[in-house]
Amino acid sequence: MDWMFFGEISLAGLAMGGLYALIALGFVIIYKATRVINFAIGEIMMFAAYLFLAFAGGMEMSAWIALPLAVIGGSLLGGVIEKTMIRPMLGESPISVVMVTIGIASILVGLVEFIWTADPQLLPSFLPREPVFIGDLYLAPKIAYGFLIGAAVLIVYLLYFRFSRGGVALRATASDQAAAYSMGINVRRVFNMAWVFGSLAASLAGVLVAATGGLSPQFGIIGLSVLVVVIVGGLDSILGALIAGVFIGWLETVAGAYFGGEYRMPATFLVLAVILVIRPYGLFGTHEIERV
Amino acid sequence: MFRNILEKGRRLAGLGSLVAALTVTAPAMAQDKEPIVFGGSIPLSGVFAFAGIHIHAGLTDYTDWINSEGGINGHPVKYVMEDTAYEVDRSVAAFKKISGSESPATYYGDSTGFMKAIASELNSQGNTLMSGASFATALTDNEQYPYQFIPGPNYSQMFGIILEYIADQGKDGDMPTVAFVYSDTEFGKDPIENGKARAAELGIEVVEDIVTKPGSVDVSSEILKLRRVRPDYVVFHGYVLSPINEFMVQMRQMGLDTQFMGTFWSSDKLIIDKMGEDADGYMGVMPYNYYDSEESGPMLDALRAQAEKSDPEAGYRPTGYMQAWFNAMVWTEVVKRTLDADKELTGDNMAEALASIEDWDTGGIIGIPVTVRDMSFPVGRIWRVNAEKGRYEPVSDWIHLD
Repeated sequence: MDWMFFGEISLAGLAMGGLYALIALGFVIIYKATRVINFAIGEIMMFAAYLFLAFAGGMEMSAWIALPLAVIGGSLLGGVIEKTMIRPMLGESPISVVMVTIGIASILVGLVEFIWTADPQLLPSFLPREPVFIGDLYLAPKIAYGFLIGAAVLIVYLLYFRFSRGGVALRATASDQAAAYSMGINVRRVFNMAWVFGSLAASLAGVLVAATGGLSPQFGIIGLSVLVVVIVGGLDSILGALIAGVFIGWLETVAGAYFGGEYRMPATFLVLAVILVIRPYGLFGTHEIERV
Repeated sequence: MFRNILEKGRRLAGLGSLVAALTVTAPAMAQDKEPIVFGGSIPLSGVFAFAGIHIHAGLTDYTDWINSEGGINGHPVKYVMEDTAYEVDRSVAAFKKISGSESPATYYGDSTGFMKAIASELNSQGNTLMSGASFATALTDNEQYPYQFIPGPNYSQMFGIILEYIADQGKDGDMPTVAFVYSDTEFGKDPIENGKARAAELGIEVVEDIVTKPGSVDVSSEILKLRRVRPDYVVFHGYVLSPINEFMVQMRQMGLDTQFMGTFWSSDKLIIDKMGEDADGYMGVMPYNYYDSEESGPMLDALRAQAEKSDPEAGYRPTGYMQAWFNAMVWTEVVKRTLDADKELTGDNMAEALASIEDWDTGGIIGIPVTVRDMSFPVGRIWRVNAEKGRYEPVSDWIHLD
C-alpha cells in the first residue's frame, strides 16, 4: 500500500470534511433552536457565494472585503427569511414548515438565475495558489486555506455558544423552550438569531466551497448532500456535526480515490444506513421519541 | 454592476414574455403554403439553461433568417417551443403537446434522456425527424432510433477525433499517454469504452480513467491520482466548466506538463471567460467554426449578420447557438430534399433524405464538405485556447472520420 498516497488523500478528505462540518453547523444551529429542518440551507450558501461574486467580481472589491460582506448578506437573508416566512408558520405542522423552506430554495434559485443568469461561474481567485506541503504530503491550497478559515470560524462559534449570553440563551431555548420563556429569554429573538448564525456558517462555507468547485444555480444541492452528515452526527448536536462532517469528508474522498468517484455517495449512504439502524437519532443526537 | 443587472433583467424579461407566449412565430409572410413546423423541447430554465437560452436564440434567429429568404420551397417556417427545465417528463409533455397541435416536421430534443424516452412514440408516429442537444453514441443506432440524428460527431467519434490528434503528436513510436476524466452520468460515461478501444487501436496507453461525482466540490484526490501516472494528455467529458479548471490549475501547480482537452459541451468560450489566463492551452474538439473565428463563408456570414440583427448587444454567440443553427440548417436541407423529390414529410422519407447528404457544403459553418454516416456528421477540428486573444484557434485540419 502506498502510504504516502493514503496520507495525501486523507488530508484532502479531512480538509474537505471541515467545510462539510461548517455547512452541517448551519443545519444544526437552526434545528437545535427552532426544530426546523432548513432545506434552503444550500441555496443560502449559493446566494452568499453569488454575493461574493458580485462584490469581488462585478464591483471589483478586495476579496477580503467582499468575503465578510457576502457572509453578512447571507446571514441577513437567513434572518429575513425567518422573520417573514418561518415565524408566521409557528404552530403549523413540521411538514408545512419544511415545505416552506423547499419553496424558499426554489425562489432563491430563480432569483440568482434572474440576476446572474444560469451560466456556470468561477469565483475570483482569492486564496493563495502556492501548493501546501505538510511534511512531504501535498494538499491543494484552496482546500487547505478554506479549511483554516472554516476551522477558525468554528472555534469562534463554539466559544460564543459556550460563554456568551446569546449562546446561553440559544442553548437554553434548545433545551426547553417553555422554561427559557419563563426565565425571561426572548424566544422569538433566539429563533431569529439561530437563523442568522446558521446562515452565517452556511454562507461562509458557500463562498469557500464555491471557490473550490465553481458556482451555478444548482450549487445548493450540496446542502442536501450534507444532510447525510447531519443525520449521522445527530440533528441537534453541534459536536456531532463537526465529527460527522470531518468523517464523511474523509470517507467520501478515500472511497472515491480507491474505488472510483461513483462510489463516493454509496459509501456515505452505507454509513448513513448503518447509523440509522444502530442509532436512529445519530451518533450524538438527543434520544427523543415522538408519538404522533 | 447594477446597470448590468438591469440590462440582464430586461433581456430575461423579454425572454420570459416569449416563454409565456410559448410560441415564437415567424413574421407573417405573403405565402399561401402550409408552414413547416420546427418543434422544440428547450431548457430555458434548470441545470442546462445556460445553453438552452442560446439554443433558443439560435433556432429563433435561423427561423427568422430562413423566412426572410423565402422559407423552404415557399413554405414559411414556424418555430414552436416549450420550456422543459431540462426535465425528461416535461420534455415529453412538451413533445406531446406540440406534436398534437402543430404536427412538427422536425423537433429539437434537449437531452439524451428525452430522446431515448420519446423514441418509441416518435417511431410509432413516424412523421417527425428529431435531433437536438445530444451527441449520444446510442442515438446513432439506426435500428432503434431511425428518426433521430446527431448534428455533428457523436461523443465516441469526438473521442476518435481527439485521439487521432494525440496520436499525430507521437514521435517515432514515442506515443503520448492519456487519461480520461468524466462525470458519473450517462452523458459522462458515453464514449469511455469506445474511447479506450480506439486508443488501443492507435497504440495510445490510457493510463488512468477517473470518474467524478456530478457537482463534486473537491477533486484534489482525483488530481493526486493523476499526479502519480503523469499523463501527457487529459481528456475531459461530461462537464461544462468545473472541475476542468481545478484539474488544470492544480496539475500545473504540481509542475506537470500535461495538456488538457475536452469534447463539445466542454469547449465553449465560457471556459476562457471564466478561467482567464488559466485556460491558455486548453483544447477542444468542435464540429463548427466558432462565432468569433477568422473563418467565413456565406452561411457563417449570414448567421453572424442575423445574430447581430436580432440582438446587436449580445456580441459573441456561444456554441449552443451555433449548434442550434446547424440543427435547423440540416432540417431545412432534409425537408427541401424530401419536397424536391415530391415525397411527403414522413420520418422515413426525411431519414432517407438525411442519409443522402454527401459532400454537403455548409457555407462555412463546418470548414469542409460533410457526409452523413449512420445519422451523424463525423467531422471536427481541434481548437486551442489563446487566452491572450480570448478565443479558440484551430490547431488541426478538419478531421472527417469514415
